[in-house]
Amino acid sequence: MGIKKLGISSFVVILSLLILLPNHSFAQKEVKIGVILPLSGPLAPIGKSLKDGAELAADIVNKKYPGIGIPIADWEGIPGLGGAKIKLVFSDSRGDPAWGAEQAKRLIEDEKVVGLLGAYQSAVTKTASVEAERAGIPFVNPDSTSPDLSKRGFKWFWRVTPHETWFTRDLFDFLDGLVAGKAPGVKAISKSELEPLAVAAENTEWGAASLTEIEKFAKERGWKIAEAFKYAHKATDLTSESRRLTGSKAPTFLFASYVSDAILLVKAMKEMKAAPRLIWGQNAGFIAPDFWKTLGGDVNGILSRDVFAAVLGKVKPEAERINKIYKERSGFDFDGSSARDFIGVQVWAHALDKAKSTDPKALQKALNELNIPGKELIMPWKGVKFGSPFPGDTNQNELGSGIIIQYQGYPDGKPEIVFPFEMATSKLIYPFPGWK
Amino acid sequence: MRQLLIDIFSFGDRPRFEKIGFLIFILIVFIFPWIVTSAYGRAVMIKFLLFALFGLGWNLIGGYGGQVDLGQAKNVGFGAYATALMIVWWKIPFWVTIPVGVFFAVLESFAVAYPMFRLKGHYFAIATLCVALVWKELFIFWDWTGGARGVEIPIRTGVDFAYMQFNSAIYYHYFILFLFLTQLLFMNWFRKSKMGYWVQAVRDNEEAAASLGINVTNTKVKAYCIAAALGAVGGSFMAVYYLYIDPDAVMPLDLSILIAMTVMVGGAGSIWGPIIGAAILIPLDMYLGAWLGAQKRLGIDFMIYAMIMMVIAAKEPRGIWGIIERVRKKRSR
Amino acid sequence: MELTVQLLVYGILMGLVFALIALGLSLIFGVMNIVNFAHGEFMMVGMYIAYLLSTYLPLDPLLSLPFAAGAGYLLGIVSYRLLIHHILRGPMVAQLFGTFGLMLFLRYLAMYIFTPDVRSIKEGILVGKTLSMGWINVDASKVFSAGVCLLAFAVIYWMIYRTKLGRALRATSIDSEAAKYMGIDTKGMNALAWGIGGATVALAGALLAHFYYVTPTVGMLFTLIAFATVALGGFGSIVGAFIAGIVIGLIMVISGQFVSELKFSFIYIVYFLVVVFRPRGLFGW
Repeated sequence: MGIKKLGISSFVVILSLLILLPNHSFAQKEVKIGVILPLSGPLAPIGKSLKDGAELAADIVNKKYPGIGIPIADWEGIPGLGGAKIKLVFSDSRGDPAWGAEQAKRLIEDEKVVGLLGAYQSAVTKTASVEAERAGIPFVNPDSTSPDLSKRGFKWFWRVTPHETWFTRDLFDFLDGLVAGKAPGVKAISKSELEPLAVAAENTEWGAASLTEIEKFAKERGWKIAEAFKYAHKATDLTSESRRLTGSKAPTFLFASYVSDAILLVKAMKEMKAAPRLIWGQNAGFIAPDFWKTLGGDVNGILSRDVFAAVLGKVKPEAERINKIYKERSGFDFDGSSARDFIGVQVWAHALDKAKSTDPKALQKALNELNIPGKELIMPWKGVKFGSPFPGDTNQNELGSGIIIQYQGYPDGKPEIVFPFEMATSKLIYPFPGWK
Repeated sequence: MRQLLIDIFSFGDRPRFEKIGFLIFILIVFIFPWIVTSAYGRAVMIKFLLFALFGLGWNLIGGYGGQVDLGQAKNVGFGAYATALMIVWWKIPFWVTIPVGVFFAVLESFAVAYPMFRLKGHYFAIATLCVALVWKELFIFWDWTGGARGVEIPIRTGVDFAYMQFNSAIYYHYFILFLFLTQLLFMNWFRKSKMGYWVQAVRDNEEAAASLGINVTNTKVKAYCIAAALGAVGGSFMAVYYLYIDPDAVMPLDLSILIAMTVMVGGAGSIWGPIIGAAILIPLDMYLGAWLGAQKRLGIDFMIYAMIMMVIAAKEPRGIWGIIERVRKKRSR
Repeated sequence: MELTVQLLVYGILMGLVFALIALGLSLIFGVMNIVNFAHGEFMMVGMYIAYLLSTYLPLDPLLSLPFAAGAGYLLGIVSYRLLIHHILRGPMVAQLFGTFGLMLFLRYLAMYIFTPDVRSIKEGILVGKTLSMGWINVDASKVFSAGVCLLAFAVIYWMIYRTKLGRALRATSIDSEAAKYMGIDTKGMNALAWGIGGATVALAGALLAHFYYVTPTVGMLFTLIAFATVALGGFGSIVGAFIAGIVIGLIMVISGQFVSELKFSFIYIVYFLVVVFRPRGLFGW
């Protein structure tokens, strides 16, 4: 008797695996895309808006939304697949690379997804895309910006968003433009007024990559750096780091931070009455809804690189209309995160439509040859076409571009576009107006 | 020689039902990838074996040794980094990198062990935790280890036994099973060895052990170093299994704690404890996470997990093995 | 000079908050030899109470302090009655494990209720006000918090060393068995220690919420810092927690200025060095 009981109790878990095997039959009229996102853990707030963006895109593909003005809104499912609906299968990465890889395996082989989307944190994207590469399943990455990702020569990995090298080049174009007097509403500023730069980046994969790129471009373009350091992320306190920036007397502060650290840094700078002329954040924390919701009027004048801003509606009516639907659903305007995962699903829809099949090889070919013109996107991009925009890149969207936004008129304001200068929706507030 | 082999392979001193249970277990694990075709099921199995392996190593210091070590992740990190860096820098085959990782883990453990074992109880536990976190921060800080950007091992196609890269989970399954069984047999020998008795004597009563002529500190230090070596082997496996490592993935506090918990749930100080613990915690965590992780409302999976942990800690502090032993004693009476 | 003064002031102000966070942990350990992994989560509860009362009621966050302390007290008592009481008889690993479960539970319960959003208090008499004195600009709420921390330490010290209740608590911590024979309700004392521990840390949380953000995962790092603080000062020592808190605040701020990436390492290394030479911490007995 005892033997039997032990046999059962010890291995009940293993046996339960057999019973609990996912056994979904593959629906004819449904195309499953696996989406891996940081839905729990410290990055969960961002994960939530990424998820909302992707869900909206899938909904727009699947249902008719008349009068929006981009092709996917007129679709009812994917035309090339006889109206098959896109079904997103979400999976939490917990921000853990190992966990992300295991979820990728599950999505690919058990959920039988035709491809993957995600995974925001570059470290998770690294391991999850390895699984896709091994399985020969397309991985579309709309939201990770580490330059390394597109330099691995993977054949099943496509990145839609511009990466850090790109954004950093934009930053220095912006700074040089300020000096050349190109910024709307601001006279030419002497370089000495903006120099030297002070840079603080969090010590994760992404922060480290950002810092390297900034240092590289500063050297190339001849900008002096007074302080450039990495700080321990998820910190209990960032007063002394802020003091270090303030104490450097540099007029330009550059940051790469996730949202909790960004809030602490701004609060500490305010506390110290730091008076820089320019504050620029590298996306992530600086564009999260929690950032401006929490800080209110103190964000006015802060710049951040981004890929999307709700004010784009002024120049792109399609973006305005989609933003309206998004706002109804989630309560927020589209931001750079949600808009990027929106585009991610859109790329998938176009690729599936073009491939007219869910066969990986056909999808690979379709993605390689994909060319979505800019007017069909909600992004201010020239389009989506994969190539090699920077040396070493493969399957990297070469028609993307970044913008730099500035928070203006908060708490009731909007982020305004100030770069590229010809797209600017408002005058640049310069210098930084100080704290509320 | 013959005696050594018997000591390694024989479970003769264990009761019959344990032997039969063990046989069933081995049989199931052996045929597992052929009856389970779900990729996630296989991934869960691999992770279970990995954590059972970690648990075996930790059990040596935490279970037999009775020292609450909350820093095992640092040894996992040493193993993973030794393997990943050597493969990336010099293209050295996997099997050569294992001893190197073990060497560094043992070296470091030996260096910190003497001051560390001046401490007792919670002071010791927190010291181990601190040392592991310092190493993690250093690996993030250093550029030569790849820093926060981590180390990426290039993919090799097909089946490669030199670098242990495979295109199918079945290979990884038998690979980790092999490592696991090696450690299990080592532990089987260890618990019956002189060293094993010393370690347990020190745990049960330090003064008594010292009066028997056992060098208490030396015994603890040795146990600590051997546990470190066993942990490093698992780390090497992680490097070639995930192909990308960074300090947050291979040496976080959560990993140290999870390793200790698997042993604790299963039953510390028993050869089967770590296996039982990993068999419960790992599938529980992975299936709860996969099913409930992407809901509208977050956190249900962790709440269930946490409740189970609290119930076990409150109702059966000696773990599942404690229950089994108690049931058996009642029956034999 | 300017730098030195600034770092000293920031370090001490931060250190006092760390000290208050660590106080409860130290007290609980002193009475019943158990380390509480959920300590930072108790703090998180205090932070949410300050946030909720000041955002959804017209209540200044300062007035939320007693509510936070009260909620912390209740949470401490309830945790003791429902969980801690049962795990006390187990070995040390089981205790760590049980409180770790409690930590996960509270954290993800907060995640379930409040979503993972990062929030912070926007309105309040002290919120966002800066005091300027010469070289130093400092958040008014930090100065106030430091004052409350000093006060809380004084009250707890008085309670433990000058009142009958405190004598009973100390008796329990020195020898629980003997205390029981003397007619002291040791279970009640244990619960009381958890109550006071929860109240002080939730109070610290409500203070911290003035200048910090609130999110369900905020606790863990503070728990680790509190561990190092308590162990550095010596488990169970109130004075030790106070001094160690300030020491850790200073280390953190000074290393943050020079090598920010390694600032936690310095704390852990200092702890390690101190306990190697004094295996029971600075003030342990």
